Amino acid sequence: MSRSSYTEIQKFRFNQMDEAAIDPLSLNRLHDEIFQRVITQAMGQIAKDYGPPPCPFSFFVTGSAGRMEQSIWSDQDHGIIFHDDGHEEQFYFLQLGREISTGLCQVGYPYCHGGVMSSNPLWCKSSSQWQKQLSKWMNEADWEATRYLLIFLDARNLFGEQTFVQQLKKHVYHTANQSLLMPNLLANTMYYKKGVNVLGKLLTETHGPYAGSLNIKEIGLFPYVNAVRLIAIKDHIVEASTLSRLEAMSETSFPTIDKKGYIQQFQKLLNYRLLFGDQTNYTSSHYLPIKQLTKQQTKEVKDIIKDGAALYHAVRKSLEKDVSNGIK
Amino acid sequence: MDTVFLMNSMWVMLGAVLVILMIGGFILLETGSTRMKNAGHIAGKTILTFSIGSILFWAVGFGLIFGKGNSLIGFSHFFYSGYDIDSLSLSGAVFFLFQLAFAGISLTIAFGGFAERAKLSAYLVFAVLFSIIVYPPIAHWIWGGGWLAEHGKQDFAGSTVVHLTGAMAALAATIILKPRIGKYNKDGSANNLAGHNQVFTALSVLLLWVGWFGFNAGSTLSVDKGFFGFVAVNTNLAAAAGTVAAMIISWIVLGKADVPMMLNGALAGLVAITASCAFVETWAAVVIGFIAGILVFYSIRFFEKMKIDDPIAALSVHGAAGVWGTLSTGFFATKELATVGQPGLFYGGGLHQLGVQALGVVVCGAFAFIVSFILLSIMKAAMNGLRVTEEEEIIGLDMSEHGSYGYPELVKSEQKLHA
Repeated sequence: MSRSSYTEIQKFRFNQMDEAAIDPLSLNRLHDEIFQRVITQAMGQIAKDYGPPPCPFSFFVTGSAGRMEQSIWSDQDHGIIFHDDGHEEQFYFLQLGREISTGLCQVGYPYCHGGVMSSNPLWCKSSSQWQKQLSKWMNEADWEATRYLLIFLDARNLFGEQTFVQQLKKHVYHTANQSLLMPNLLANTMYYKKGVNVLGKLLTETHGPYAGSLNIKEIGLFPYVNAVRLIAIKDHIVEASTLSRLEAMSETSFPTIDKKGYIQQFQKLLNYRLLFGDQTNYTSSHYLPIKQLTKQQTKEVKDIIKDGAALYHAVRKSLEKDVSNGIK
Repeated sequence: MDTVFLMNSMWVMLGAVLVILMIGGFILLETGSTRMKNAGHIAGKTILTFSIGSILFWAVGFGLIFGKGNSLIGFSHFFYSGYDIDSLSLSGAVFFLFQLAFAGISLTIAFGGFAERAKLSAYLVFAVLFSIIVYPPIAHWIWGGGWLAEHGKQDFAGSTVVHLTGAMAALAATIILKPRIGKYNKDGSANNLAGHNQVFTALSVLLLWVGWFGFNAGSTLSVDKGFFGFVAVNTNLAAAAGTVAAMIISWIVLGKADVPMMLNGALAGLVAITASCAFVETWAAVVIGFIAGILVFYSIRFFEKMKIDDPIAALSVHGAAGVWGTLSTGFFATKELATVGQPGLFYGGGLHQLGVQALGVVVCGAFAFIVSFILLSIMKAAMNGLRVTEEEEIIGLDMSEHGSYGYPELVKSEQKLHA
């Protein structure tokens, strides 16, 4: 029974996609709507077996879905925060998480290889357990814990109690000792793939099926995403999308950064990926075939990439200065 | 007995040992630059083909190169038995062994073009044919008193004779054998079939680098005035400059200091200085090596674009750098050092020597390529193809040609994973 209903949602996805895929925002709204339909469907299924939810909860998405930067193909990254602490609640919401993950997979969102799914106990916890876990991640501060923390900070509520995600983010911001946390976060997001060589030429793939194309995810998006996430942490911004984080950033904390310019550049970047990427599958959608671009467009892409790198360096420099000055 | 005779013999014997050790360098170079499933095969066949080459050189190669004959070929001294040679002030047997080692290196370079797809039998037959028909004529022309020697061609230790000859045979082989399975996609883009061990490749470069002191400095064939030291210094400088140049150019163009490219730069520097090491000043050795390092980077990209699959970059390292090295004396040979031929363009010699060098490159390169191409084409027809079957290529030549893997545990566990 549930299977056939997920098939309905899959059809809905198929029918709506062409229309939505004309701009990044409407595309991400469609993804949200599909997720919400799957959640509703899964909740109905679980209600039949185990009754209604035992307490209020929030279902959040993270990763590119959290940041509203999905392309047409996307895998699933999500978690659940439920209000009351208890074994029964834990059991109930894990069942729900499992049903949602299965449903999403059937609708066309492959499982997350890294296990960032509400079917995984690590990502399906009560509010108080989440608080403990986040504190543990901050204290452990090793590579994996920092990675998880960064993933959580990209969380965006999609269903249920809007405030749960925000409260946990505030918990992170208020309890973290930034001068200890920041160096770890910087170390974890320090690497980015160089996009332009010293001669000013775009560094496209030299080998493989995407030879001649630009890896727009690693070269283009990542510097913006990582830099803006760091800004959000410093400014205690609870929004998850890169664009809304840029909108929300204070004018004073990074006085050298022209946020309007970066907002424009990032929007353009998302448009390029959507319009020029080969949308056959997830991997191919992240390669920009430079040969199909006009001279003007190539220059624009180059500028976007250079600006991304500049933004990243500016944020990094500013934060390193803060760390050495011992901010709290 | 004459002390100088003994010392010359000792020195050149050391050179011969170093050059034969370079075979070990080539084993590491080729295996490191190719995939695990072919490692045992590549290592084993290198020793085998050197053995075949050695016997052929003894039987006929030496006589065709250094025997009495005309300006095109020698024709005496077959089945060399260890006697001294009148015109040489060193042991005849040492000289023979030193020359045998060079022939072996040229043959090993040629087989770079066979890597990862040729049948073992193709190696065996071509080892015989190359050792009789391809290498000896060119070596005779330049080193055996042939027409290019009379012409004044400068090739001190064999940029042309050894490296270009080997590379041209490799080019013929890569063209006839066609690319390895999976090298090119349907749209024509190339995949990177990365070598399995960069540490092997780096160690191979060090082994070859040290062996090259035997190759170049040993080619003085004497200890007179300690001139071999100067030759060794030039050799070292060119290798160093080639490494640095390839690192810089790959960083500038690709944004990364590519390790295999850097290592190819070292080898290109060594190949290039081989012709000119005794004829040029130290600063020129740096320039020659540096240019070779840049050249090899673009040459590798060029061949890949032309859909010529050259797994260990033999065409670029030995071919392109061999051509440049031979031409380089036409620019940089000094009046004092040019014991053969004339000084180069930058030392008042005008274009004369450059012309001689260019002629030598074109004639020797064309001869090696055309003869190898014809021989391999005949072999292909007679032997029902030179290449293993697709299935054999996929399971690896270790298994198809020899029945056991060089890395049995690793390859088998990997195959289980993919099954």
